[in-house]
Amino acid sequence: MTEKQNVPFLEVRDLVVHYTSEGKEIHAVNNVSLTIEKGQTLGLVGETGAGKTTIAKSILRILPEPPAHVDQGAILLEGRNLLELPAQEMQKIRGKRISMIFQDPMTALNPVMRVGEQIAEGVALHEKVSRAEAEKRAQEMLEMVGIPASRYRDYPHQFSGGMKQRVVIAMALACSPDILLADEPTTALDVTIQAQVLDIIKELQKKLNTAMIMITHDLGIVAEVCDHVAVIYAGEVVEFGNLEEIFDHPAHPYTIGLFGSLPDINSDVERLSPIAGMPPDPSNLPKGCAFSPRCPYATEECSRQKIGLDKIDGTHLCRCINRGKEE
Amino acid sequence: MSTPLIEVKHLKKFFDTPKGTLHAVDDVTFSIEKGKTMGVVGESGCGKSTLGRTLIHLYESTDGQILFEGGDITHVNKKKLHELREKMQIIFQDPFASLNPRMTVEETIREPLELSGKFKRNALMEETERIMDMVGIDERLRHSYPHELDGGRRQRVGIGRALALNPAFVVCDEPVSALDVSIQAQVLNLLQDLQEQSGVTYMFVTHDLSVVKHISDHICVMYLGQLVETTSSRELFERPLHPYTKALLSAIPSIDIHNRKKRILLQGEIVSPIEPKPGCRFAARCPYAAEKCHQPQELRELEKGHFVSCCRVEEIN
Repeated sequence: MTEKQNVPFLEVRDLVVHYTSEGKEIHAVNNVSLTIEKGQTLGLVGETGAGKTTIAKSILRILPEPPAHVDQGAILLEGRNLLELPAQEMQKIRGKRISMIFQDPMTALNPVMRVGEQIAEGVALHEKVSRAEAEKRAQEMLEMVGIPASRYRDYPHQFSGGMKQRVVIAMALACSPDILLADEPTTALDVTIQAQVLDIIKELQKKLNTAMIMITHDLGIVAEVCDHVAVIYAGEVVEFGNLEEIFDHPAHPYTIGLFGSLPDINSDVERLSPIAGMPPDPSNLPKGCAFSPRCPYATEECSRQKIGLDKIDGTHLCRCINRGKEE
Repeated sequence: MSTPLIEVKHLKKFFDTPKGTLHAVDDVTFSIEKGKTMGVVGESGCGKSTLGRTLIHLYESTDGQILFEGGDITHVNKKKLHELREKMQIIFQDPFASLNPRMTVEETIREPLELSGKFKRNALMEETERIMDMVGIDERLRHSYPHELDGGRRQRVGIGRALALNPAFVVCDEPVSALDVSIQAQVLNLLQDLQEQSGVTYMFVTHDLSVVKHISDHICVMYLGQLVETTSSRELFERPLHPYTKALLSAIPSIDIHNRKKRILLQGEIVSPIEPKPGCRFAARCPYAAEKCHQPQELRELEKGHFVSCCRVEEIN
């Protein structure tokens, strides 16, 4: 693999995705652009329905089409547009160069297939190895995520939730992918198990120099594992920056609102300051800034036209025209 | 110290399963003061929901004692239970599963008022409106069905129904776990406001430690059916004593990016609560486990109001 200069490892460029449901157009992803480099972790933060999972699924090209439809944009892996690849080519990338950890391990595993075989299946498909070698690799992967290889022939129902999620992680990492898409990988797990699983992911990422996109609604997880953060609201990136930029100097009113809504374990607040109102209906997004109907700082200008994602400083970007005028 | 509203002594709730007896709640003792919030935390399967449900007689307890307003309610007849239901209520995690899909918002909130027989026709309407207003449900939604509401509003209906008859005690069973953070904050504030207005006592069951810290006066930490530590919320977060509590608190991902805390990573898996061996159930994962941990443990008051169930607690702290 030749390292090309100035070409990001993975770039999502101007992606637009909509779903059609009951005759209505649901605008799930609206002009999202992101880049990520090898070994780095990008956090996608946002609430239910913000479009985080749709972005990840577009990268892997596993959106159900229809009802989903990619209207425009490009997914560039080392400069090559994945959206234009023939299906067969994409098949080779999926699970090999890019893989995904799904949110719910109960539905991501095949209940009637032994867990070891589920891991070996991907290895056999992507690597030119014998059956025995694939099996051996699968056993190593199990050990790597802390499950004894002797449980190779067990079925998913014989594992606890945390162990099932570790099987899913082993599966996603079996072919040493360059990019890992982790979609709320620990949401279904208890905190002590979550700590174990996050630790395993981080360790393996370091070892394999994998780039990772971590999708989560938990800002605590972002703080612990990510290098950069993209805050997603109504299918748009409303703020982007590195950890310090987002956590020390949140700029977008939505990001500030998210921090205010969060009971913090390190401080005592009598009352939380929630964001007023509800997320917008994605089939009928407000004109201009999608957050303006809930925004305490909104002016008339906010709903007049599309707001650009402007640079604040460093890598810090924010989609707000009233920034700094809050006080 | 004022008199407790509810007192639980050596409460046990076992379930018979094909594999043996499941010890969901095993010898739990604590009390909740009137007008306060007791948080109950623990991971899935620790018995926290079963504990809440046993307290309000959704389950019959296997052994032990429950005192409510000073009276023994461990065993009650149907008539007494009917009276108790007015005073003890529950808010469930998933309002979509707990609300009747074929009843409108108005009908759902009015039903408990009707059943109480305390309201005449006109008063019934007025009271229903008052409750809708109290929990922040817009007047125009009165004829909506649960599926037409978003999660936050559905939960407001669940809260309205539970608080309709002004109960003294409400078990909140993961009431905000299914909600997004911005909506979660709205509902937590609502619960706090309602407590200030009515003086209701909450038992707040959750796996979310940030939420429990925010809302509780006192906290019980449970592990596999056993109460491992209980004290005031402040004390628990400042000075956790039980090894499990310490690990649990250290595992919470923190948004403080400058002060990284040291994490206690636990090894091993949670043991089965079916036919458990005597002794501390956390011992299998505990970094300090010793021989004597396999003896039955006793909940001891180490400092005023700070109870811990660990025989090695003095050695390790």
